Amino acid sequence: MADREEVIARVERRLSGLCERFRRRNERRVYVDVPPEHSLEANRALFDEFRARLATASGRDTRDRVEVLYHYCFDEVGIVVTLRTWGLKPEPTVDSVAQFCPGANFVEREIHDLLGVVFRNHPDPRRLILSDDWPSGVFPLRKDYPVRGGEKERARLVARLIGAGEKP
Amino acid sequence: MKRTIIPVGPYHPIQEEPEFFQLTVEGERVVDMDVRLSYNHRGIEKLCQDLTYDQIPLLLARICGICSASHPMAFCQALEDLTGVEVPLRARYIRSIICEMERLHSHLLWVGLAGHFIGYNTVFMWAWKYREPILDWFERAFGNRNHYENFCVGGCRRDLPAEEVEPLRRLLDGLVPKVEMLTQAVLDDPVLRVRLRGIGVLSKEDARLWCTTGPTVRGSGLYVDVRANEPYAAYDLVDWKVVTQEEGDVMAKAVVRLLECFESAKIIRQCLDRMEPGPIRTEVRDMPKGEGIGHAEAPRGETFHYVCSNGTNYPDRYKVRAPTYVNLPSFKSQVIGAELADAMLIVAAMDPCYSCTERVAVVERRRGGVRRLEQEELLRMSWAKTDRIRRQV
Repeated sequence: MADREEVIARVERRLSGLCERFRRRNERRVYVDVPPEHSLEANRALFDEFRARLATASGRDTRDRVEVLYHYCFDEVGIVVTLRTWGLKPEPTVDSVAQFCPGANFVEREIHDLLGVVFRNHPDPRRLILSDDWPSGVFPLRKDYPVRGGEKERARLVARLIGAGEKP
Repeated sequence: MKRTIIPVGPYHPIQEEPEFFQLTVEGERVVDMDVRLSYNHRGIEKLCQDLTYDQIPLLLARICGICSASHPMAFCQALEDLTGVEVPLRARYIRSIICEMERLHSHLLWVGLAGHFIGYNTVFMWAWKYREPILDWFERAFGNRNHYENFCVGGCRRDLPAEEVEPLRRLLDGLVPKVEMLTQAVLDDPVLRVRLRGIGVLSKEDARLWCTTGPTVRGSGLYVDVRANEPYAAYDLVDWKVVTQEEGDVMAKAVVRLLECFESAKIIRQCLDRMEPGPIRTEVRDMPKGEGIGHAEAPRGETFHYVCSNGTNYPDRYKVRAPTYVNLPSFKSQVIGAELADAMLIVAAMDPCYSCTERVAVVERRRGGVRRLEQEELLRMSWAKTDRIRRQV
């Protein structure tokens, strides 16, 4: 079995020219910030060269930009390497990972629907989550998306979902 | 040959959950497929941003009615990763017991459904009968048949009642011989062997490319199991092994699930033997800024959660990835070239769980389609094939 430290050192060496920051949060978690121009090469390196498993990707709205985080699991040594890249608003654009990893197809379509990230060279950029008649340019998971009803309405919705509390 | 498009859904005719498959067939052979999800949006990720960290596990338990412990488990681990809180030993054993009991009842549920799909209704009745005592035990021990998870950040909310330990041992003593009998019946049945071998093959390379997890990937011979790769709860304190099969077909996936039941029983027994009285919860004193990742092995595969904290009591971003979300797309690589009568069985072999996957929006499909398959027709096609094989064997 390969050694955990050795694997992390190898990943760090491979990504050193590509990343802005390589941060080890704790024993099993590594976060790498890769600027968008290098994200395709860095993703390819992790998926094809290190043969890591792409667990999923998460999108996150940080107000002036939208981050896309690709989470890679190195199953033999039990670590998760998170590759963070980003696109600037108003039209954040990131190179698609789905062009060489079909497993990323769904999640990139999801991030496009909910956060409005455009994935360059995505093989199948149809909508996945939102319905066909949803207005274009409205992204429900962005921070500026208005949530209807306010505090009270949300509390009631949560109570209904977890089957407790006040009746509507 | 003329191509026909067959829509299946948007309400699954056999599993009675919302999703839509579009199969393109030539004669009886599937040549292409497309899948659409998200017919039932619940907006859980958005809701989590308005809930405190104490409330979130209660909501996450409602993501799925079958694996209701796996999502809170992954959440708690993400938060423990973020805050660096240590879970007390007794709580780790309780967590393992709950997760393995969940795996047992989920796998039995699947065995029953799979039996029903191929026309073995006796298997269906038996498996579900054996599953029932597990749910009853959950109700007695943790207060609910479905929402028994009782996890919180830093441990468990409730202790395992001392008077429920003996009934659990007796339950396992009764259950294991029955599952053994069921497994033997499946392995020895010549009809099943012909019916399930060689269909829906997922090769090792495809399993990697489609990023599949759980019994679906272990049936293809890959050693992917979070319990072993990155041990959580008490999995590094007990003796067990990861079940894998090499063939990657429907039979291999069924065998993996059946054999995992015995491993689960083994884990639970060891946990009960080694558990000692002690605290079950570490209090979280303060919530730092930062990010945490937690993953857990649900019965269907890896549940992956990511949390981003901004230092307040509410998460800035919470992401949930259910196992079916990555397993279902790999259906494409398994179904092409298969017979139509096998298509729904191949989906069933992945044990998809739509309620986990569907956390996000409402989609409406436009009316249309050339040939419509109803529940009876799909079941009839599958049962007819089993009958045909039975006569030949």
